[in-house]
Amino acid sequence: MNHSVLKGTGYVLVHVPGMVMHHGTTQTTERSAHPDSDYLKELPKHIRSYEDCLAYPPNQTYIGNLSIEELSDIEEPWFDKKTEHPSRFGPFGEVMPEDEFAVLMQICDAFDLVHLDKEFVQTAKPKLEAHPLITAAMLSLIKEGQEPEVIRRQVEEEHAQPVIVGDKLVGYVKRAHDVDVNLSAHVIFENLVSKASEVLTILHLLKQSGVDPNDVDYVIDCSEEACGDMNQRGGGNFAKAAAEIAGLLNATGSDTRAFCAGPAHAIVEAASLVKAGAFKNVIVAGGGCTAKLGMNGKDHVRKGLPILEDCLGGFAALISENDGVNPEINLEIIGRHTVGTGSSPQAVIESLVTNPLTAAGMKITDVDKYSPEMQNPDITKPAGAGDVPEANYKMIAALGVKLGQLERAELPAFVKNHGLRGFAPTQGHIPSGVPYLGFARESMLAGRTKNAMIIGKGSLFLGRMTNQFDGISFFLQKNTKKEASSGVSASAVITAMPVIGVAIPDSELGEEMVRSAVASAGKNGYKAVLIEGDACLKRMDEMLIAGEIDAAVAAHNPFPVGVATVGRIATPALGREMFLATTTGTSATDRVEAMVRNAIAGIIAAKTCGIEDPTVGIANVEGGRQCERILQTLSENGYSLRFADSARADGGILMRGNDLLQGSADVMVMDTLTGNLMMKVLSAFTTGGGIESVGYGYGPGIGEDYEKRILIVSRASGAAVIANAIEYAAQTVRGDLLTIARCEYAKAKKAGLQKLIDESKQRSPGGPPVAAKAIAPPKETCTEEIHGIEVMELDEAVEALWSEGIYAESGMGCTGPVLMINDARIEQAKAILQKKGYVH
Amino acid sequence: MDLENQKRVKEIADQFGPENVIVVLGAAEGEAAGLAAETVTAGDPTYAGPLAGVSLGLLVYHICEPEIKEEVDADIYDEQVSMMEMVLDVDNIITEMTAIRDQYTKY
Repeated sequence: MNHSVLKGTGYVLVHVPGMVMHHGTTQTTERSAHPDSDYLKELPKHIRSYEDCLAYPPNQTYIGNLSIEELSDIEEPWFDKKTEHPSRFGPFGEVMPEDEFAVLMQICDAFDLVHLDKEFVQTAKPKLEAHPLITAAMLSLIKEGQEPEVIRRQVEEEHAQPVIVGDKLVGYVKRAHDVDVNLSAHVIFENLVSKASEVLTILHLLKQSGVDPNDVDYVIDCSEEACGDMNQRGGGNFAKAAAEIAGLLNATGSDTRAFCAGPAHAIVEAASLVKAGAFKNVIVAGGGCTAKLGMNGKDHVRKGLPILEDCLGGFAALISENDGVNPEINLEIIGRHTVGTGSSPQAVIESLVTNPLTAAGMKITDVDKYSPEMQNPDITKPAGAGDVPEANYKMIAALGVKLGQLERAELPAFVKNHGLRGFAPTQGHIPSGVPYLGFARESMLAGRTKNAMIIGKGSLFLGRMTNQFDGISFFLQKNTKKEASSGVSASAVITAMPVIGVAIPDSELGEEMVRSAVASAGKNGYKAVLIEGDACLKRMDEMLIAGEIDAAVAAHNPFPVGVATVGRIATPALGREMFLATTTGTSATDRVEAMVRNAIAGIIAAKTCGIEDPTVGIANVEGGRQCERILQTLSENGYSLRFADSARADGGILMRGNDLLQGSADVMVMDTLTGNLMMKVLSAFTTGGGIESVGYGYGPGIGEDYEKRILIVSRASGAAVIANAIEYAAQTVRGDLLTIARCEYAKAKKAGLQKLIDESKQRSPGGPPVAAKAIAPPKETCTEEIHGIEVMELDEAVEALWSEGIYAESGMGCTGPVLMINDARIEQAKAILQKKGYVH
Repeated sequence: MDLENQKRVKEIADQFGPENVIVVLGAAEGEAAGLAAETVTAGDPTYAGPLAGVSLGLLVYHICEPEIKEEVDADIYDEQVSMMEMVLDVDNIITEMTAIRDQYTKY
């Protein structure tokens, strides 16, 4: 799947105490209602210095200098704590002081509306000249400045808004029209602040992502301001205005508005535009908001805290074509709060979190991290709004309990393991899900996190157009593509190469040959460990469970029924890569059902190895036509399949012998025994059948709900095949086989897989299968195997034991079907099976 | 309680008579529930809204209190509220709400 990727992020704070006093709505409202209020008198004593604001731990986290984990380790409250070595610049951005920002606002003014004090410009301009990201083109826009007298008159007599830095009037923003309130000095000021902070954030994003500004095609602004005049209030376009100053000459853009959910909506749009091929590089950006400065100031002052809402926030992200490196935005998992959802918290969380996960066949515990509204609890708790992220995690966990995915006692652990501490300023759209993107990207590139769900929510009712609430969520995952298609090299990403266990205890070619295969894989950059000894297969299982190895290559494994392996070979002479689905194991005991399931397993294996949209052909064997019919209907029902065409003159989906040799399909579907036969033939034809010398082996066991990565090779495999199998195993980890499998099965189910299979069985000569009657006794550990049961009778044999109170499982060993049983019960079970005629 | 809601509560109480009105809250924790309950009984404690100095004394409950839960269809309650019931500190909310009712409710 060619998902768009998150190629970079930018996060900026601007410390603006002057704006807190003069532009935050809590303060401006108070000033107009109670100009002599105690609050306004008290407020200046609670303003932080730039140094204090910079050292404030959540601010260092926002720009990436302090990890979320490090922040969590600091005991709350945080307002009285300081980071030891705070730095203005961080991996994601910076904390800009207000004097430099005033000059930046003037740079961003295209209509001669911002004027600064002459003297002030002389001191502030050199600081901006020293800024690493402010371009010469931007610096050339700085004006000389005006006399203090002019500035005072503008503010006092001409309705201009004051620009205050450190208690001093250093400039003004004048109105852009005499009558039009949409162009009043207040609105222009607010909009220029938003634009300037957006520009600064984009500059940081450009630096961090390394993208050439000329390669940016489109910008989506997702702030909460509106620009336009009285004839088109909110007409836009912040995006293009910011792109112009940031020097994105080849970009255009537009504004997306959805209150606090704006950024999440905008990222879904950007990822869609890139995936659709409309644009290659799209920036999503949002500047800060003056109105929300000091929003909870009354509570903070009353409780003796500093004014913590003294910063503008800025956020930007670059969404690009899949480079095989950066985390992907998986558009197949999108949560939406729809018009019909309703507003109860339960309905909201269902629509945004559990519904999209369930549709993708995932549980809430399958997501490593959730990022809902990431408000800093230091700000919200004293104001009575509680710990917002934590409340969200509790709700997600509680819903998990209701869905039976979590025990109630596991609720606190879920919050701790899948949650994050909040650290974002309460700037409306800024905290809503997106503050985690920078850390998520880093963590996924380093292989520490596999996925995350980003949840944006917005209160639409504030606009008085609807009582609706809103929200949208999207899914970020570690890159699943095989190799870098452009730009950065793949080797740069995979910091943690998966570890593959190799357990081939009874190689027909000797242990030395297995050793040399492991060494050869090591030379090619793969990490493989040899698991030796008689009990090596048991040890392999333990190592997989303990996470000591990520996947295994084994000579033998008793897969449960429902799991079969997908082999991989290169066709003779032509060398076309082909997946044989399947080669060992049993996808289902019914032949046609098994072939349909084999097709899905084959698609999963091919996608895992980087074939985005594999072609599927069905070997012309008994049951092929019925399999074709079901796959066609599945495809019509929405499980999209790309069918291969036979190389023979009459074409068609059914593949003949020639097609097998020519590799006419990426995925060649057949019954398992035929697959096993073909695998052997195509691997051993060069050695006269003695040694399997080419190909990748019988491949990984794949099945619904099967969560292990075990690949099978024949005991007659040569070193090259074993080395290839190690490579194939590494790909099942890096290509995220298990997630792809979950998605594919969920899609096939949605398209009516089970119903189609049941209908096909009804039509089959033998009629529908007899429904299971026996009920399984309590599960026991099954370590012993009973061989020699006819495959068609395997399920019956299991139930025969169940009816006698003995727990058993069906499975498939490399020599045929096996019944797995607890070692204490084996003799008793054998006796029963003999008596009933299942074994001789 | 935000000013718009205060205004609506006041209007409803005026229109239907305070003795005929019950306010049902959905606040996320005890303190917030208590403040909202105080607003519709004793008056707006922040003296910022239309209920500043207006003691309506309305009967007020939180949705998670047993008195209200019993009135709601069990299936709908399960669908709409049970998740939050699991998340909230219901005992604390009941304590806060009971204290306000005992002190200020007139009906």
